[in-house]
Amino acid sequence: MMVSRRDFFRTCGGVGCALAAGASAGSGLLRAKPAFAGNVPRAYPARFWKKLGQKRIECELCPKHCQVDDRERGFCGVRENHDGEYKTLVWGQPCAIHVDPIEKKPLFHFLPGTRAFSLATAGCNLECKCCQNWDISQSKPEDVDFRFMPPDEVVRNAKDYDACVTFTYSEPIVFLEYCIDTAMAARKAGVRTTMVTGGSGEAAPMKEALKFLDAVKVDLKGFTEDYYQRLCKGKLEPVLKTLEVIRASGVWLELVHLCVPGQNDSEPEIRAMCHWVKTHLGADVPVHFTRFHPEYQMKNLPPTPNATLVRCREIGLGEGLHFVYTGNVPGLAGENTTCPKCNKVVVARRGFEVDEIHLKAGHCAFCGATIPGVWS
Amino acid sequence: MAAIASRTSGEPSTGKPRVVVVKAKKALVHGYDADRGALRAMLAAGLVALTQQKDAVASLSKLVRPAERIGFKINGLAARQAATHVELVDEVSALLAKADVEGRQQIAFDRFARDLSASGFSSRLGRYRCVGNDEAGHEEELSQMPSSASRLSRVLTSQVDGVINLPVLKQHMLAGMTGALKNNFGCIHNPNKMHVDRCDPFIAEVNAIPAIRDKQRLVIMDALRPVVDLGPAYQAGMIEVANTLIFATDLVAADAVGLELLEKLRARHGLPTLAKAGVTPTYLATAAKMGLGVCDLSGIEVVTIEV
Repeated sequence: MMVSRRDFFRTCGGVGCALAAGASAGSGLLRAKPAFAGNVPRAYPARFWKKLGQKRIECELCPKHCQVDDRERGFCGVRENHDGEYKTLVWGQPCAIHVDPIEKKPLFHFLPGTRAFSLATAGCNLECKCCQNWDISQSKPEDVDFRFMPPDEVVRNAKDYDACVTFTYSEPIVFLEYCIDTAMAARKAGVRTTMVTGGSGEAAPMKEALKFLDAVKVDLKGFTEDYYQRLCKGKLEPVLKTLEVIRASGVWLELVHLCVPGQNDSEPEIRAMCHWVKTHLGADVPVHFTRFHPEYQMKNLPPTPNATLVRCREIGLGEGLHFVYTGNVPGLAGENTTCPKCNKVVVARRGFEVDEIHLKAGHCAFCGATIPGVWS
Repeated sequence: MAAIASRTSGEPSTGKPRVVVVKAKKALVHGYDADRGALRAMLAAGLVALTQQKDAVASLSKLVRPAERIGFKINGLAARQAATHVELVDEVSALLAKADVEGRQQIAFDRFARDLSASGFSSRLGRYRCVGNDEAGHEEELSQMPSSASRLSRVLTSQVDGVINLPVLKQHMLAGMTGALKNNFGCIHNPNKMHVDRCDPFIAEVNAIPAIRDKQRLVIMDALRPVVDLGPAYQAGMIEVANTLIFATDLVAADAVGLELLEKLRARHGLPTLAKAGVTPTYLATAAKMGLGVCDLSGIEVVTIEV
């Protein structure tokens, strides 16, 4: 069944839903203004860095380990050396704020049918040629419109919307201090916190954040170093390490693989990835195969054919993964959560809407099997 | 006036791009301030030798037209101690005014207003405007390159017709060296994404963007006190006074000659070559391969003048 992008928008539920890719700065409570001029971001002390002498510092937030001179910034563009002290220019300064269905992240095993108070700052430590949100992720703080929203205000807003807090759209790792401080405040207030990330981070700061997070969705963008280097200006290995760190922490984890035609969707690559997920993370970690839409520097490619998504899902199931989904194509088989024991649908979805839930305290309502996730 | 036309106007018939290296006995006062009298003499000698015109004003008239708005792309990253000398830009501005490009048609620009200010560039002085890209903004439309994509500075795209490129010669820990080609990273919104792989091929590709390439009129490289190591920031003890300005219309050739000078200064400072230090600026050869200019010194006519 073919569903157009426009039709998909119509089917999207919740507030602030905008793009099929699960992330957009194009609409919502605060809209990013690309090429905005005149905003001066405030600088706050950054964590996770060390001094190298002569005012040069080394950032220890992500595997790039940028060595940054005085008055310069690292690859992410949001952390700056001020006279030998590293500062973050995005703490408390989100440029995109939306209330989304949690399914849009996508997190399918985390409080289905609830809402996510979603926010992002400028900047990213990767540069994916197919980025859906390049207008904020590839911008510096002063290039976008932003507002000041300290952690307590984020938590109050999330409570008002009866939502969890979700750091998403760009790359939360580059605003990790803000994430950690907000997640701490949220936990104190009894509000859950989730993160949507590319996973290209160092273990120590990630472990610090995981103390206060309730779920993480990681974009596993490809399963070759070539893909990461050629199309993302990143590396695969650190992402795999991050996945293991998250899994070991016990924080709920889901994966997304955006299937870019001809780039990361070959059968051997998908099979190898699914095998790695099963052997290193376990069969219960959900994997979402989602449709690519031409964007940013990859407008020359077609959207992912539905058949590719279906085939990827079959490979994942064939490799023994219990929960494999298709995404960005409402109505395509693979949106529902099926009990791995009795094969009955326990959560029925269409797009970002949840139609039915047949779970009892985290167990299949039909056969009683445990369905892993955070359900209450 | 097209960049290619200006590149050949007044140059010798050898077919080689000309690069003029002007060295003064003393061009600095009070540590890092530049001596305006010395600068005037250096500019006159360099511009005349580059264009073969009778004087500096006539030389500039060969490179820019009276109606044009001219941008001074300075490098203000390292503030006053290792930025383009404001005295140099002031003197170029004064010459341009005599060539009927008035001060109100001139803009000094760089990435951040604060860098301009810290380097001594201020519109309050009334000579020419000083604008940071963070104040003027960037175009919304992306300029696509083979390896990346960028938004261009609105100063570049809509406020100037031509650019006089005034880089500072510095060693750069990631790129190897910074000169005229790398100075144009200050015309895009995301240079932070392009410092991987020795900035290669990113520097070359940025300089091949038509809106950047076609506006380059002249390079005057500030090599009065180059940063010979641990650049691009100012580092105490890493300055070698060279009292030199380098003139060219070929950005690649200007950088190639600048690189040769940088290597000499590094040797004088007891430093290894950039290749031995593991930071060969490979982007120069890439730029040459892309047809942006000449990087082989044997293909460049280097004229050296002492004033």
